[in-house]
Amino acid sequence: MPKHTLAAASLLSLAAVMTASVALAQDAKPIIIGITSDASGQYANSGAEDRRGMQMAIDEFNAKGGVLGRPIETVFVDTETTPATGSRVAERMITRDGAAFLIGAVSSGVANAVSQVAQKYGVIYLNTNSSSPTESGKDCHLTKFVWDGNGTNFAIATTKAAIEEMGKDWLLITNDYGWGHDTSAANRKLAEANGATIIKEILVPQGTRDFTSVLIDLQTVNPDVVAAAVGGDDLKALRTQVADLNMGEQFGWINNQQDWADVYGLPKTNLFGVFGTTWYYKLDLPGVADFVAKYQAAYPDTQMKVPGNVFFNGYWATRSLLEAVERAGTTNNHAVIKELEQLRIPAAVRMQDDDAYMNPKTHQMQQTVYLATANLASDDPDDLFKILGHSTPDAVVDAGAEAACKLESFEDTPVYEP
Amino acid sequence: MGMVSSLLPHLINGLALGLLFALIALGFTLIVSVMEVINLAHGSLFALGAYIAMVIISPDLVMLGAAGELYGDLPLAVRYVIALVLAPLVIAVIGFGLEILLRRTYGKKKEYGLLLTFGAALVFEEAIRLVWGPAERVLPVPPGITGGFIFNGMIYSNYRIYAMVFGAAAIGVVWLFLNRTPYGAIIKAGAHDDEMVRALGINLPRLRMLVFGFGAALAAVAGIILTPIWGLRPHVGVDATIPAFLIIVLGGIGSFWGAVFAGLLVGLVVGITGAYASDWSILSMYILLIVVLTFRSRGLLGKKTALEL
Repeated sequence: MPKHTLAAASLLSLAAVMTASVALAQDAKPIIIGITSDASGQYANSGAEDRRGMQMAIDEFNAKGGVLGRPIETVFVDTETTPATGSRVAERMITRDGAAFLIGAVSSGVANAVSQVAQKYGVIYLNTNSSSPTESGKDCHLTKFVWDGNGTNFAIATTKAAIEEMGKDWLLITNDYGWGHDTSAANRKLAEANGATIIKEILVPQGTRDFTSVLIDLQTVNPDVVAAAVGGDDLKALRTQVADLNMGEQFGWINNQQDWADVYGLPKTNLFGVFGTTWYYKLDLPGVADFVAKYQAAYPDTQMKVPGNVFFNGYWATRSLLEAVERAGTTNNHAVIKELEQLRIPAAVRMQDDDAYMNPKTHQMQQTVYLATANLASDDPDDLFKILGHSTPDAVVDAGAEAACKLESFEDTPVYEP
Repeated sequence: MGMVSSLLPHLINGLALGLLFALIALGFTLIVSVMEVINLAHGSLFALGAYIAMVIISPDLVMLGAAGELYGDLPLAVRYVIALVLAPLVIAVIGFGLEILLRRTYGKKKEYGLLLTFGAALVFEEAIRLVWGPAERVLPVPPGITGGFIFNGMIYSNYRIYAMVFGAAAIGVVWLFLNRTPYGAIIKAGAHDDEMVRALGINLPRLRMLVFGFGAALAAVAGIILTPIWGLRPHVGVDATIPAFLIIVLGGIGSFWGAVFAGLLVGLVVGITGAYASDWSILSMYILLIVVLTFRSRGLLGKKTALEL
């Protein structure tokens, strides 16, 4: 072969190999998920449960080769149950770490802060577990999707039954921050609409550990029903102190929503009153037992031997996002948002009693809400809940959310295609 | 009469809270006054003491074999008392170790000691998380001090009364130790003039180590008493460190009675604010601090500076 032909052939081969390598490298470029989750502060325990849910979904996809042929990697920074930290973390994850999506929240204050940063850049953000009605109301964003039931959903599920069974004189205990105020406002509105009277509202700062003055007030006021919008470690302290004084039976207690991490490990006698949840590990539904087994295989050393609602929401949010990316065939944010807006998950797949669906006007997942109380009949220390009944998604819909939520247009949302 | 009877439960609550705050601050103030070290690991030692007490009260009996069976048969009250004695001793030993680490910072900038104890606090908290996990745990207490009793138509917590009495007794014991024993005299002398103490032939390094261990043990005692009310979790120590620091500054750094009086005052303010303006209850202690320091910068019973003499 002439020398110049050989040289040309070699150069062409080299060019082909280099082009293929570049193409392969681009295809294999990981999708980075920024986990915006609390590892300290009031919601540290729930944050840990949330992350486990997200990670199990991510591991499932990576076992199948990732999404769109790209492996999924994560970057996690503690948002410290503090909104200012949440903003900073979100900004860093997007601008420095190249996060394609942001996932995770328990504190509504943190979720609101993260979502504002996410919307600025067009990054899709999944609010996995915060329950303030404002998250899918006045603080909604085109890039934000809310996966948990909110205070209004749970209030609807619990209020009417509580008035009929327990009485009309209500006292509200309110954690003095966004979620607490919004949830108590929802409780108040529903209670008054159903004929109850709010005789007092007690504000409790975040970080309160001593509830004696609150309990003294309760005894003085002597309501029929106490509706507590208190979360995280504050709620644990409240429950412990109420149970110690046997005041759990003295009033009708409603705790709106009870996150699993907030009660796991407590004595069952601390779980007084009635409360809402979106999922329980002992629901007699298809797939639940396998899901619990998968959790136990993935996390054999964790203190929490069975998963709860927070894990469930973290898992489903992450799984739904990755499935939406696959269906869209792209990581382009506008395309993925459109997929998520049409999301509908059959009950049998979702492991709830009813199909769950995304409300395209508020970006909140509409789902079954369960009413529960303490399961005193069981000796199993993990079997904490006795499910009393459930409400369909349509029965507990937050009617005010669609009016309050003004989603940005696609034109006003930057295109982001990591 | 109506106002008095409605105020009375809040006053009792405030007093109880105050004694508990004073108990938290005791160990902290001892270390600050003798060693001029702000021990930011105080809260973590508070938490660690409670966790160790939990293990002593309810150990993994299977691992202990026959001895474990015997121990498990002991009444809970007996195991609780054993924990109340042993857990602070364990924490005292950890305190000794921490003081030995601190020696390299003596004579240097104060920030080094602060940073070291801050780092130690993070290490202890993470160690707790690694060993016992992040979830809430329960420190068992004897049934005789749980539940409530009715007084003047109101339910009061048995445990809170016990904690209040224990707190007062602990303060009394510490006072007696400091003022009626030769060791207490040496500690007070060391707080006042460590050079003179050294010149008198007293082993100053050993003194500092013992004081640090004693302060750490007091943190553990406070943790064992308070975590049944506050809850037992890895970061519960933060709930102790901030009030402790506030109280010793409010009371006057180095003043035993300043810390006790400031603790009572903070408890009363927080308790009564909680009754009438609950959303201000946590903020009220910081407002109290600002007001007092504005008019009396050395705190309520702090020593006068050279400029004031």
